[in-house]
Amino acid sequence: MTEQGVPTKVLEIAEGIKTMRIRGAGKIARAAAEALKIATLEYGGPKDVSSFKKYIGKVADLLISTRPTAVSLPNAVMYILSSLHRANPGTFDDAANTVVFFAEKFIDESINAVKIISETAAKRIRENSVILTHCHSSVAVSAITEAYKLGRVLKVYSTETRPFYQGRITAKQLLENGVPVVQIPDSAVRYVMHEVDHVIIGADTVASNGAVVNKIGTSQVALAAKEARVRVYVVAETYKFSPTTLVGEPVPIEFREPTEIVPEAWVQKHPRIKVLNPSFDVTPPEYVDAIITEIGVIPPQAAILVLMERMGWALDKIKQGGLTKIKFEDYAE
Amino acid sequence: MSFLEKDLSKHGFRQRATGSEMVFTTLDMLLDYSVSSDEKSFARELLNIYERIVAERPASAGVLNILRIIIESFLKNGLQTISSLITDLRSGYDKALWASAEVACKRVSKGDVLMTNSNSLAVRRFFAKLKEENIDAEVYVPESRPGLEGLLLAEYLEELGFNVNLIVDSAMRYFMKNVDKVFLGAEAVAANGAVVSKAGSSLMALDAKEARVRVYVIAPLLKFSFESIYGEMIKLPEGGWELLMDDETRNTLPLNYVARAPLYDVTPPEYIDAIATEYGIFSPQAIPILLREIYGSYPPGITPLPKLVKQLKEVYNI
Repeated sequence: MTEQGVPTKVLEIAEGIKTMRIRGAGKIARAAAEALKIATLEYGGPKDVSSFKKYIGKVADLLISTRPTAVSLPNAVMYILSSLHRANPGTFDDAANTVVFFAEKFIDESINAVKIISETAAKRIRENSVILTHCHSSVAVSAITEAYKLGRVLKVYSTETRPFYQGRITAKQLLENGVPVVQIPDSAVRYVMHEVDHVIIGADTVASNGAVVNKIGTSQVALAAKEARVRVYVVAETYKFSPTTLVGEPVPIEFREPTEIVPEAWVQKHPRIKVLNPSFDVTPPEYVDAIITEIGVIPPQAAILVLMERMGWALDKIKQGGLTKIKFEDYAE
Repeated sequence: MSFLEKDLSKHGFRQRATGSEMVFTTLDMLLDYSVSSDEKSFARELLNIYERIVAERPASAGVLNILRIIIESFLKNGLQTISSLITDLRSGYDKALWASAEVACKRVSKGDVLMTNSNSLAVRRFFAKLKEENIDAEVYVPESRPGLEGLLLAEYLEELGFNVNLIVDSAMRYFMKNVDKVFLGAEAVAANGAVVSKAGSSLMALDAKEARVRVYVIAPLLKFSFESIYGEMIKLPEGGWELLMDDETRNTLPLNYVARAPLYDVTPPEYIDAIATEYGIFSPQAIPILLREIYGSYPPGITPLPKLVKQLKEVYNI
């Protein structure tokens, strides 16, 4: 099976994830599940289980390679692949149905997770609270909106989040939901922190020790909150917990293009200035008061519990070789 | 407007005079007036400048202090000695800036990795001095929103030949672990040793403290806010979305979109290891001791500026 065998729609999704047209851990995970479903429905190769498994493994590898740091992506893919493996289908139809079934199940559960997390998080917000959030997280927006509906939110500070200004998306969405928002530059986080009651942030990845990998600036927000004795809540679906960190693999921090920060012409005019653009940083677990997941509120240090409960199967596979070395194309056989 | 400028103004880039630059331009302006105008119009000019500063740059201790000195002398001696006073103030402040920079310079070892904020003149002189002394350093410069003056400082440091890393303000903590020392300028120094500086400075100082990185502030004594001794709060100006984007970008956002962009913030004295002044290096909490040495008593016998302005209005009937 060659590259041409992968349906165009799947390649488009992969490209969308790579170029950040599809962004946000939940959206990426659901897009990957959707891609596996489409790949199955549009499969045109030999109708036998082993060819199909090999093909799906190849699509899985392709999807995982698009964003090495988005942990939700391999978790979604592994969830579906491992379900296929466990189902041990006898016929091609069974195999195809299994992938479609679990892809849809993953998507449903993931959407439902946001709802459960929002309801749980809203309970933690006191009356008349001022909330600060960083970057754009669909779960955080949903949780804040939920708390607002309960009449507990007075005002939200949303950071612009350079270089991409994802905070503008947050501000827009919260305003659409009727929540009062004030946008601040990232540099003003400490300046306003004394007015803030809770910090609510999303996560890109939660490591096995409870460290939270999220948009650059998150750790600085958490530090400023800790200094001001403001509680920091991380809202994160369980598929953001990274199984590979358990075997000691550090979460790679991606450095992106200088032109995301300054215009191309500026970069060219200043050849001796290095523009360093890390996308993520790591917030140590001691700066996080709780991680709110769809299975409940946990102290960050108990992250390992979530991994064991939810992804025991994946941990075994990863312990054998590490995620980067696994080729699902071979594993599927 | 060039393409580059347009690209940058989309992000709210603008050139803004630093506290020290304002001291110099104010002095130059007043020097011109002192030779070309009569006493009454000079008095009116002093008042205009005072009101503009209070409205636009209320935290700018440097300008407020020179205004106090000039108004006080003007009330006592009229226009007669003003020109020479202004010339002395100008060269005195220039020397003080260089002296403070030189003192700060001694705190840097060859090969140090430094971080700084905004585009303060004192900081630029400090780097010029480092260059002069052949002390090589790598420098992290955050873009420094609102205003993005960090781009100007990065440019200046590139010209001087330093290895410059430009980062977003959010990445200060990420890179702090690579940094040996932080150097900041100041818009004002308060009586308790707190330092008013470009927005984000207090965040940088907090990051530095967490990482056990030393923080130095370069501030000639003219930056000391005498009013703060009597409990006067230093007013921190804030802007809105217009400091963060251009009109075109604003139009893509909802009508009820609101932004709050403070220009300065306050770094508490416990996050500052030392302030480099023209009199040497002091802990921020020891500034009152320094003032006592210079003025012979504490608090220094200085007339508050609002009182002088009131007198000025009365005497010249404006």
